[in-house]
Amino acid sequence: MSMPPATGVHHVEFVMGMAVSIDIRDEIDSTGVLDAVVSWLHHVDATFSTFKLESPISALGRGELELGDASPEIRDVLRRCEELRIETGGVFDVHAVRAPNGTTFDPSGFVKGWSIEEAAKLLEMHGCGNFCINAGGDIVVRGSPSPGQNWLIGIRHPDEPQALAMLVGGACRLAVATSASYERGAHIIDPRSGAPTTDLASATVIGPDLAMADAYATATYVMGLDGLDWIARRPGYDAYIIDREGMTFWTSGFDRYRQWAQG
Amino acid sequence: VQAVFSADGQLTAVNVLQLPTDRKSVAINNRAVPTLNREALSTQSAKVHTVSGATYTSDDYAKSLQSAIDRARANGITKLT
Repeated sequence: MSMPPATGVHHVEFVMGMAVSIDIRDEIDSTGVLDAVVSWLHHVDATFSTFKLESPISALGRGELELGDASPEIRDVLRRCEELRIETGGVFDVHAVRAPNGTTFDPSGFVKGWSIEEAAKLLEMHGCGNFCINAGGDIVVRGSPSPGQNWLIGIRHPDEPQALAMLVGGACRLAVATSASYERGAHIIDPRSGAPTTDLASATVIGPDLAMADAYATATYVMGLDGLDWIARRPGYDAYIIDREGMTFWTSGFDRYRQWAQG
Repeated sequence: VQAVFSADGQLTAVNVLQLPTDRKSVAINNRAVPTLNREALSTQSAKVHTVSGATYTSDDYAKSLQSAIDRARANGITKLT
């Protein structure tokens, strides 16, 4: 191979029911950094998983644990979920669907993005400035993959698992989250009607913070085309959506993130 | 074939497909401008670092573009001992 050898650390951790790809481009001693991030992800899983009957979140859902007795971390997450419920007019709601543990309390739609945003902060605390974390298709990037280069992020094509519909990047601090039905069927429920949402093939939200981008992507997906206007009123966040016929729409601010293939 | 692999199985590029372009226009207000994609994009081929898409399960991951990207990256890294 004529390519120069790449440097850095790369790891895929299977946790929270998904693959989390951690791609660090800084030349660092990897062991402590990876241990910290992997431990964090497993802590989040043990605390917030609605698949684990013994997790504090499952106990909260069954009413066996009072919110006042929950950890500050859990209370902080649930406070932010409640803020999102109000901000989205009830579209984002931790009580919208039946959780795997049999309760109707599931903050997973916020916890995933939040935990990866926190993982990025952990990497920065350990001196990393150039990395990408992809958690089941939701992404944070910092810095650049190599000097003078920008992270190039593909948005999956809704009908072709091995192809892309759009390229984004161009900033050294970005979060990208996509909500769609192509992997798990019509699983996203509109809490306002109780019915599965059907207007869009996928909704991608891009902005500075993955905790918000992930929840906003879910909300935009539920809102359909109206979600574009709604996202445009969130400072710092933009959306790219694909409808059932393959038509694409995006907020005006999304243009600054668009990238084109080289050559 | 939408993903391009080299002879030794490394992912080298992914096709960016054109989506349909023409339909009735949508309402535009002065805050959000929903933009119809009217550009004559031919299929491009891009070397991306990562892929955003709906959450896939650990099982689906093995078949995903992201896993191909991860394999290529892992194979390219010089191990720092």
